[in-house]
Amino acid sequence: MKPFRRRKTNKKEIQSQQDANIILQSPFSSNIDVNVYILEQLFKDIPDLVMRHFLLSTGSNALLIYMKGLVDKEQVHLHVLRPLMNSNTISHGNIESVISVGKILKLEKWQKAEELIFNGFSILFIDGVPLAYAIETKGWPQRAIEEPATESTIKGAHQGFIETGVSNVALVRRYIQNRELKIKEFDVGRRSRTKLSVLYIEDLVHPEVLQELEDRIQQIDIDAILNTGELEELIEDNPFALFPQSLTTERPDGTASHLLQGRIAIIVDGSPSALIAPMTFTSFFQTVDDYSMRWTVASFIRLLRFGAFFIAVLLPALYIASISFHYEIIPVSLLISVGESRAVVPFPPIIEALLMELALEMMREAGLRLPAPVGQTVGIVGGIVIGQAAVEAGIVSNIMVIVVSITAISSFIIPNQDMATHIRLLRFPFMLISTLFGMVGIVIGIMIVMAHFVSLESLGTPYGSPIAPLRLSDWKDNFIRFPRWAMVNRPISARTTQLKRQKSKRNRGDQK
Amino acid sequence: MKKYALNEITTSQFIFFIYKTQVGMGILTMPRITAEEAGTDGWLSVIFGYFLAIFISLVIIKVMEKYPEDTLFDLLPKVFGKWIGKLFIIGWIGYTGYFAIVLLLMTVFIIQVWIFPQTPSFLVMWLFLIPIYMITRSGIRVIGRYAEFVYFITLWMVPLLLFGLKDAHWLNLLPILKEGWKPVLVAVQKTVVPFIGFELAFILYPFLKNKKSAFKGIIIANTLTFLLYMYVIIITYVYFSPDEIKEYTWPTLNILKSIELPFLERFEIIFLSFYMIILSMTIIPFLFTAAFGTSKLFGQKSHKIHVRIYIGVIAFFSIFYTPIGQNMESLGKWADYLGIGFGYAFPILFGLYVFIYTKLKNRRLSA
Repeated sequence: MKPFRRRKTNKKEIQSQQDANIILQSPFSSNIDVNVYILEQLFKDIPDLVMRHFLLSTGSNALLIYMKGLVDKEQVHLHVLRPLMNSNTISHGNIESVISVGKILKLEKWQKAEELIFNGFSILFIDGVPLAYAIETKGWPQRAIEEPATESTIKGAHQGFIETGVSNVALVRRYIQNRELKIKEFDVGRRSRTKLSVLYIEDLVHPEVLQELEDRIQQIDIDAILNTGELEELIEDNPFALFPQSLTTERPDGTASHLLQGRIAIIVDGSPSALIAPMTFTSFFQTVDDYSMRWTVASFIRLLRFGAFFIAVLLPALYIASISFHYEIIPVSLLISVGESRAVVPFPPIIEALLMELALEMMREAGLRLPAPVGQTVGIVGGIVIGQAAVEAGIVSNIMVIVVSITAISSFIIPNQDMATHIRLLRFPFMLISTLFGMVGIVIGIMIVMAHFVSLESLGTPYGSPIAPLRLSDWKDNFIRFPRWAMVNRPISARTTQLKRQKSKRNRGDQK
Repeated sequence: MKKYALNEITTSQFIFFIYKTQVGMGILTMPRITAEEAGTDGWLSVIFGYFLAIFISLVIIKVMEKYPEDTLFDLLPKVFGKWIGKLFIIGWIGYTGYFAIVLLLMTVFIIQVWIFPQTPSFLVMWLFLIPIYMITRSGIRVIGRYAEFVYFITLWMVPLLLFGLKDAHWLNLLPILKEGWKPVLVAVQKTVVPFIGFELAFILYPFLKNKKSAFKGIIIANTLTFLLYMYVIIITYVYFSPDEIKEYTWPTLNILKSIELPFLERFEIIFLSFYMIILSMTIIPFLFTAAFGTSKLFGQKSHKIHVRIYIGVIAFFSIFYTPIGQNMESLGKWADYLGIGFGYAFPILFGLYVFIYTKLKNRRLSA
């Protein structure tokens, strides 16, 4: 392979990445021809780079370069090229007053120029000037703002994040119009140079937590980050955790609500979701809708979700344990009807349960990736197979069908997708251990999960809060939601530095 | 400089740590052991036991206040000198280690009697050791959080016993003091052991973030334990006849056994399985203290390796030893003696010694 590679590289003027780096570190030449030569070398085989030569009214040569498709053509033509060509009194001192575009930067080195070209800037070179002007003319294809499919609400806002970081930041800012909402920007990924915007409210966030997050982001050394999920894995506390330690959401209003509780949001350019940390376990069970409903209804639904959590994890395991180990806990009359339905089934309960659960998971996955009309067909076919035919054919028992469907529905109630998938995964080990050790096995499983749960942390804040460590004042907004007027303080689980969030007689907190 | 700043625990963790260490086997056996000595007046003995426990707890806190940055294992060599101090540490390691092992064996034994008569005991033991290891190795803060979590996840088990009130005979409690004060006072020596657990304040105190709340915390912990014991004892007394209660080794479980709902029976299987969570929280603190003690003895910072050794040794020997009834009884008896010795006698003598020691030292310094 080696000779071949050498032959190929020999053709290039720039021999290697090191040479390119030397050039990138060097300043622009004042001679435009030299600049054009360097450009041609640097951006070899990039046909979507547009290089437009033209003459200024003063007679000097000028060159405008931009990436086709990353810029707003209209803006380049009308607000950059036309004024430059038509203006009579142009000199390099008053470029800013000629070009009618908001943001113009003066550049000295190639490196910055390269970075900005790929960010949708147009770069202007003028002969005899050892500088370049970067003009912001961003405009790439993007999706319209829609309601996020995975987190739809009934009464909440119907806007969701899109794939452009700048717009996403703006969407959040629409909710928090306060100068304390600060943003720190990072470029991560050697090749992708993905823009991360770390959003936080400066007088709410705990400085240690913020520092911890910054340190972790700065330690990332990777070729590319394409979406939020990758970033999440790179910065999470425990890579072997059974539960997600940070939340990804597509909702700007949800993000704003978390920011207002003193959490930090990271918006990844190119990904339609924000990453929110530090999270606690119970905050995965909250939705924005909880706050737009009256507190009684919201509390009931919250309790329903926590109930669903236990059902989704434990119900199949409990069923297996009670019919294969501890049938004495079922009263005789009930046991007879269970026995009747199980009489024709040839499999032991664990096989029966695994069959049904796996069939269900497959159907879910199939329905997820298929286009909507086909997905429905899968649902109908699967529903009939699981519900009716399998029972009639004597492969599974009626009661197992009930158990599996209740489990499935319970796991769908959990509002956060990540959490729901983790919970679905968790029930398989529980089923296995209950087959081996019955009720005792289940309890051992619970203890192992508890042990894991209490030692988990998210950005250095305890994940089990407000249960363990106990923070009773946070219980107002966890298992049930207290009325809004009763929630005077922010939750302390997120380690916010200002507790008060509503007006009270005592004068502290958000003073204006 | 604070030695243990990294592992600080909150007041509520301190409370639940001690409370959950105290509550364990006592719930299952206490109705019988008090009834054996004092009949249905046993609940009076619990009150005496409670006040005794509070008194000793306060002595412990008073001693620790003098040396707020030291655990007992740092303190012993300081006060007694290097070698005698080490001897005491070994004694404490033996006591807590013995307690942990006996409690483990008892748990496995009960599980075997009530749920798994066929399964080899070492399998249950190994299974049980997994979560215990996971928590014990992580140190005091995680144990504190676990204690809080245990409290909430087992809260539903308390009202289950109310089913027993359906067949209650309140007259069983009367007349009060039918045989005078003597049996009541004799039974006190049986009721003090279930309160064992507060002496871990010797270890916990330096980790406590808010030291002022130690008094309040330890009183709350003892009171919670006391209320729970009273609740269980009264219900078992009114449910069983005074003679019947002595027939059962674990009367509490027998109440649960009799509960019958149209869709569920034999509650004691579910109850006992979940009771393992509560029992784990009595074993973990003792195991931790033992491992912490050995790490101090050898001057090591981390206790993890010692936890591993303990767990490994227990797991290995559990293959050859199957707990049986009589053994359990004699093991339990020794645990009672050790408990009274280290939990009650030691704090008083140690407290006296420390007070005299500091007095003398101060006098020497001022002179």
